[in-house]
Amino acid sequence: MRDVIVIGGGVNGLVTATLLAKAGLKTLVLERGDRVGGCARTGEIAPGFRCPTLAHAAAIDPSLLRSLGLVRHGLRIVRPAVDACAPTRDGPTLVLWHDAARATEAIRAFSAKDAEQYPRFVNSFARVTAVLRAVCASEPPSIDDPTALDLIEMLKTGRKFRALGRADAYRLLRWMPMAVADLAGEWCESEPLRATIAAGGLLGSFLGPWSAGSAAILLLLGAEEGHPVANGWFIAGGPGALADALAAAARQAGVDIRTGADVARINIRDEEAQGAAGGVTLSNGEEIAARAVVSNADPKRTLLGLLDPIHLAPELVRRARNIRTHGTLAKINYASSSLPEFKGLSALDADGQAAALSGRIRLAAGIDGIERAFDAAKYGGFAEEPWIELTIPSIADPGLAPRGRHVVSTYVQYTPYHLRGTNWDAERDRLADAATRTIAQYAPGFAASVLAREVITPLDLERTYGLTGGHVFHGELALDQWFVTRPLLGWARYGTPIRNLYLCGSGTHPGTGLNGRSGALAARAIIQAIRGSQAR
Amino acid sequence: MKYDAIVIGGGHNGLTAAAYLARAGRKVLVVERRHVLGGAAVTEEVFPGFRFSVCSYVVSLLRPEIIRDLELPRHGLEILPLDGTFTPMPNGDHLWRVNDHAKTQREISRHSKVDAEAYDEYGKAMVEMARFVKPILNMTPPDPMSLDPRELMKLLFLGRRFRGLADVDRYNQIQLMTMSAADFLDQWFETDVLKATMAASGIIGTFLGVRSPGTAYVLLHHYMGEIDGAFRSWGFARGGTGAISEAIAAAAREAGVEIRTAAPVARIAVKGGRAAGVVLTNGDEMTADMVISSVDPNLTFLRFIDSRELPGEFLDEVRRYKFRGSSGKVNLALDALPDFTCMPGGGPHLRGAISISPGVDYMERAYDQAKYGEFSRRPYMDMVIPTLTDPSVAPPGKHILSCFVQYAPYKLASGTWDDQREAFGDTVIDTIAEYAPNIRDIILHRQVLTPLDLERDFGLTEGNIFQGELTLEQLFFARPVPGWAQYSTPVRNLWMCGSATHPGGGIMGAPGRNCALRILGQKA
Repeated sequence: MRDVIVIGGGVNGLVTATLLAKAGLKTLVLERGDRVGGCARTGEIAPGFRCPTLAHAAAIDPSLLRSLGLVRHGLRIVRPAVDACAPTRDGPTLVLWHDAARATEAIRAFSAKDAEQYPRFVNSFARVTAVLRAVCASEPPSIDDPTALDLIEMLKTGRKFRALGRADAYRLLRWMPMAVADLAGEWCESEPLRATIAAGGLLGSFLGPWSAGSAAILLLLGAEEGHPVANGWFIAGGPGALADALAAAARQAGVDIRTGADVARINIRDEEAQGAAGGVTLSNGEEIAARAVVSNADPKRTLLGLLDPIHLAPELVRRARNIRTHGTLAKINYASSSLPEFKGLSALDADGQAAALSGRIRLAAGIDGIERAFDAAKYGGFAEEPWIELTIPSIADPGLAPRGRHVVSTYVQYTPYHLRGTNWDAERDRLADAATRTIAQYAPGFAASVLAREVITPLDLERTYGLTGGHVFHGELALDQWFVTRPLLGWARYGTPIRNLYLCGSGTHPGTGLNGRSGALAARAIIQAIRGSQAR
Repeated sequence: MKYDAIVIGGGHNGLTAAAYLARAGRKVLVVERRHVLGGAAVTEEVFPGFRFSVCSYVVSLLRPEIIRDLELPRHGLEILPLDGTFTPMPNGDHLWRVNDHAKTQREISRHSKVDAEAYDEYGKAMVEMARFVKPILNMTPPDPMSLDPRELMKLLFLGRRFRGLADVDRYNQIQLMTMSAADFLDQWFETDVLKATMAASGIIGTFLGVRSPGTAYVLLHHYMGEIDGAFRSWGFARGGTGAISEAIAAAAREAGVEIRTAAPVARIAVKGGRAAGVVLTNGDEMTADMVISSVDPNLTFLRFIDSRELPGEFLDEVRRYKFRGSSGKVNLALDALPDFTCMPGGGPHLRGAISISPGVDYMERAYDQAKYGEFSRRPYMDMVIPTLTDPSVAPPGKHILSCFVQYAPYKLASGTWDDQREAFGDTVIDTIAEYAPNIRDIILHRQVLTPLDLERDFGLTEGNIFQGELTLEQLFFARPVPGWAQYSTPVRNLWMCGSATHPGGGIMGAPGRNCALRILGQKA
């Protein structure tokens, strides 16, 4: 019999499986798609055009990078020289170079005051998020019976917090519940800079820049790299190459990976008073037994979809239903005959333009423009001018597209999972047209240059990629769904009310994107639990 | 003449602080800018015979300890219950919740059986939550960066209390601190008008929408009221809200407090880094061992004190403190009662609050307009007709309709509030007329208070009725400024006791009382 079955071969599932196998557990990963990777995948959208299908950046925890030997397994990290670029429709383009001095110079053209403030903000952000990174790297404590280890972790975090000094410590506490527009406004006055910073607090969330709590997202997503704008890096060959490296590491550790294996149900052994997970049944009827089951699927899908609710207390079912998974992000991938020519960059030569566009490109008509796009979503629609972040990965990695041509990977927000009076199958093209038109307002030739496009609506995210509600984080990242309450208060330590059933996906702490942290923490908790039960 | 303490501002918090200090034997002077006491808790005869509770119009949050300690009933305070909330709907239906629980359940089950059941559970949960938060109201917030063991004990106390909660209550508490009112209520209820009317408590005085995270806390804030031991019951003070201030003032005077009205402060005298008294605009100087300001941080630190007396970082934080007034007030003198299409005639439904909150989207759209600097064309309103409970405030047969109106952003995208005042008043009348068309024919007088008027007339910066937004980053140890939440200030012997300090606004009195007890070195 297998020791452990991991349902879903996403980034976290692969990390968990590898670490379990390294601990000597016989581990099987069951992936329903034809390849592993979850949100980390590269797809061919037209012959010769390969584009990040879903996420376009990742930030695997450096210690995992080392311990899994991902670079040895072929991972090539690409760090663009530019963190973000903010073209405007009629004015100059703000280019935030990763090099602080260059960024400062670029900002000076917009505001001398901001040029002075931006490095200060970046530095303070780095200090403050170091504490959050420590929180993200440790298991949430038990509230009822904190173990000695919990207390030590809390003390360690407490000490880091105090070491920040008064100014930064208060900033951390004050920033978390703020609206990201307010946070950006406290530091900067120029609109493109404000909007570009604020955008980092909105990705994937059902929040606008003026929504309180959006600053927490900026901090959490920025914690991995300790930078407000440069959250994550790109991957040569697209995110699919990350999946390949993770799968190679898993196989080397002894993990069995089966693709095309769609888990229909988690089997519960009822011989004991309280049920315990004992394996899974695939949709083709095949049963596979194991001593423990780990789900990389989101908590709602796991608890409400893969389990018979009879095994769960009604209160728990109610809470699981109330996990907010209202997706708001769509993904549109373009094959383009040329590099889009942004109006605000026309003063630069071809190389200069390519360099400026090598990072994230954030298109926003200011903070209010983003907020207006959000307004439409609140009433179950999407804006004619959605808010868009795009990357052109073929600039740094020309192998992704035929010579001289490009792929453009765009996040389009706000696209609510629940549309009123219509559905995403009917609205798919209207959304894509709105996105294309919006991009063309900044880069006029863009619409004509589009050779092919791939449109992935929130409904597709759910149907094709198994994300409940189309939520890319498996559940809204919000203060009430984070740390000791992610996914549920009392069940934040990767276990579930069903014995031997664990969670390891983004729906668990910290759940902040493609960094593998949830998977690593889950593996640690599972190994401890299995060893503990063996010892008894 | 030298005082032990001078209190700036004769609002309910200033008067409360003064009364507590005087009862402990201190010689206290209160200076009030206006000719009347009460600050925003004031009754004024705006039109002959009509005595309006001009700003704050209902009471519930006033701490029972204050009523007891200052013996306010003996000093003339009488609170009359406000029964229920009536929400007219555009489709001719209505929702009418009253204090009689069984009746309310029957009414809600008319809209949804599931909600009627959930209402019970919800009520119990909120009582638990308010019970959890209540001791925190009387607490001087701990400083999380302090190494003082007493401060750490306070944090430990909070942690223990949280751990002591039942599992389900912990859950609710976390959600209340962080979620939006609409999301929070969505977990319990399905009826739109019920959710909208309940969520309204989450946005009052706050520049946030019902779907903005953080509004669930404001909802709880409004749940913490108690009258005669009954949680979340609201009432009127006989004679209008000013009667509360008058009763506190009477208690203060009895304890020996000297009160001067029409005495606007020009600046706080600081000598050798210590507050030494105040200088009035007429040049009068009064000296004291300490100065206690009940006005907001903007006036206290940016207007009354020379900036050289304050550390730069502190000033930065004060400038950062958000006011963002979002509401206005329209007071109407009426010849007769409004006649609601959905429930014609007079009757008990007019005795409670009348809420214009027909749906969650309605509320949210009202906010959307305000976000971009316009007042809501169809605002949320909370209205009361105090004359049905206390006829003494208007001539016989006449009525007062007091309308709290949101959203009215202090900063308008175009034009000024002086140009927009009447248009704003018209919008309010038009909105009421959609539900009670006779309103246009029965108005005798109207008083329109925009956020700008609230600032100019009542010293509320940017017209914020809570002296600063009740958002999570401006609460508890961060109210008004992180590290300065314990009523003291960087200037020695200068204290703060207004709504801009913990636990915030509403006619609560807790900031005034907490500050006085802290000065006296007593525990709450």
